[in-house]
Amino acid sequence: MQLHLGRADHASSLRFRLPAFDAAAGETVAITGPSGCGKSTLLNLVAGLRRADEGEVTVAGTDLATLGTAGLDRHRGAHCGMVFQTFQLLAPFTAIENVAIGLRFGARTSSHPRVRAGDALRRVGLGDRLHARPDQLSVGERQRIAIARAIAGEAPVLLADEPTGSLDPTTGREVFSLLRDVAAEDDRTLLMVTHDPALAAQLTRTFDCSDLVRPIGINPTEEVSTT
Amino acid sequence: MNLLSMACRYLRFRWLVTTLTVASIALGAALVCAVLALRYESDRALSRDAGLYDLVVGGKGSPLQLVLASVYHLDTPPGNLPYSDYERLRRDPRVRWAAPIGLGDNYRGYRIVGTEPHFFDLTDREDEPFFRIARGRIFDDRFEVVLGSQVAKATGLDVGDQFFGTHGLVPVPGGEVHRDFPYQVSGILDTTGTAQDRAIFATLESVWEIHETEERLHSAIQGNALLGNGSAREASAVLLRLETPGLRLWMTDEIGDRSDGIAAVPINEILRFQRGVVGPVQQSLLAIAAAVVMVACLTVFITLHQAGERRRRDIAILRSLGAVRGEVAALVFIEGLILTGAGVLVGLLMGHGGLALASGAIRDATGLVLEPWRIPSVELSALGGMLACGAIATLFPAIACYRRTPIADLQLTD
Repeated sequence: MQLHLGRADHASSLRFRLPAFDAAAGETVAITGPSGCGKSTLLNLVAGLRRADEGEVTVAGTDLATLGTAGLDRHRGAHCGMVFQTFQLLAPFTAIENVAIGLRFGARTSSHPRVRAGDALRRVGLGDRLHARPDQLSVGERQRIAIARAIAGEAPVLLADEPTGSLDPTTGREVFSLLRDVAAEDDRTLLMVTHDPALAAQLTRTFDCSDLVRPIGINPTEEVSTT
Repeated sequence: MNLLSMACRYLRFRWLVTTLTVASIALGAALVCAVLALRYESDRALSRDAGLYDLVVGGKGSPLQLVLASVYHLDTPPGNLPYSDYERLRRDPRVRWAAPIGLGDNYRGYRIVGTEPHFFDLTDREDEPFFRIARGRIFDDRFEVVLGSQVAKATGLDVGDQFFGTHGLVPVPGGEVHRDFPYQVSGILDTTGTAQDRAIFATLESVWEIHETEERLHSAIQGNALLGNGSAREASAVLLRLETPGLRLWMTDEIGDRSDGIAAVPINEILRFQRGVVGPVQQSLLAIAAAVVMVACLTVFITLHQAGERRRRDIAILRSLGAVRGEVAALVFIEGLILTGAGVLVGLLMGHGGLALASGAIRDATGLVLEPWRIPSVELSALGGMLACGAIATLFPAIACYRRTPIADLQLTD
């Protein structure tokens, strides 16, 4: 994965620029920095949820600037497994259905998605909660479903936005270990946003976004309009 | 898991809103179905009854009243006419079939219609016998009667049973019972699906005899009691089938000019009645139904719009998983179609179920025999229109979902 960016927007009042950033397959990278510095935006750029104003975002050999909206959606489904701080599970569906839906839109495979979803859930230790709905599970279990959903397909990149942020320290450590171990076992690239230096230290590399933010007006020559 | 099963799951998850929305659509659809089916069925039933006879001849008065009284057994006949008029008409070479009827009494609200045995020789327009005996036989004796199928069902009378007629065409509390003249059931007719099912057919002689003997010559039917004393014998009406329907208007004018009575073409009177009275009522009901349908479609729109707002996060999650915009829009669209389709289907069942439940009361009150589960083509067109309206109402929330960008909605917390 390569990320060569000139400038990108973060919010209407803030602009920032990212330096060249590369992550190899199997590498685990902690994205750190204060709130609002652009950590999540970095993940969103990789996932194709945002477009960069300038520069180049290449994921699994594809320049995202060349993709249309549907192309970005398919890119995200095929190449990025996303894990959010607030789990982002679909309330009406059971654990196995949440993962199967991820496969349906992500890997777009028709080969036994429920079997694969069940395998992924067993891998994260939820083999006995396949048919529980999110509201019947603990927050730790919900985050495990989200991880299972992210790894059920063949996505080479895992994007985790503060995955332990809503969990107690013990559960947070368990979830972190699970995510890190799965990435290492499958040789997937893990980009994880975290505020916890102890967790960041356990990944192969740390990318600090602290100096990326430029409030409007500070350096007008570096600002560009958003797209 | 495909989009259809996902849509069904979302609808089940919001079961209360789903139920209320379906109920709202169903109400509109039921109203449309009931009004259209009722209109179709009443048109069909009225025409079927009216089409049995080419002409009805009776005393001076309202032609519509004459038709209602003699064909539908509803109103009181406007007046009597001499029996000799019937005999003259029967001999007329243009008349293919003629039968007199005499009214005056009822049994538990069902009219006792005095007539002659050849009344049962009446054929339908395909020349097939119109009446068929289900049990027993046509009357032989003066005080034997043949029951319409509905009468037998409602009263429980069977062949061989006896009963007494009550004075008057409608039951009144304390009405005088003709206890000296017991009727005996000789036969029961098959269901015809017409007003004849609600009649008790007796001999004309029995009607004359009851009213002569008890001297109710001028009180039986609003002063138009049936006279039967020898040469002054009367009939309430004469029913005619002509050699050709083309003779209807000619003979109507002729009878009006040459006798004290009037002749009416039943189908014309009923069509006039429908256009003048029933039609505007039906149009008003249809307008109300259309308004209800519009409100129902608006409900679909509001429901899906609100569901879309509530599900912004879910839509964003699906997009983050790789769903393209068309897929999430299709998901919302399918939900709308299911809501509308279910509402229309439930409405169809409710409308016709309601009609089935009401058909007995309608039959008793008006004499119309309905087939409540028949679905006329106009109703199918209306339901198709409702589905189309629902689809259009669904398009807007689906397009709104299509146009949303997921990034902002993903930041919403659980």
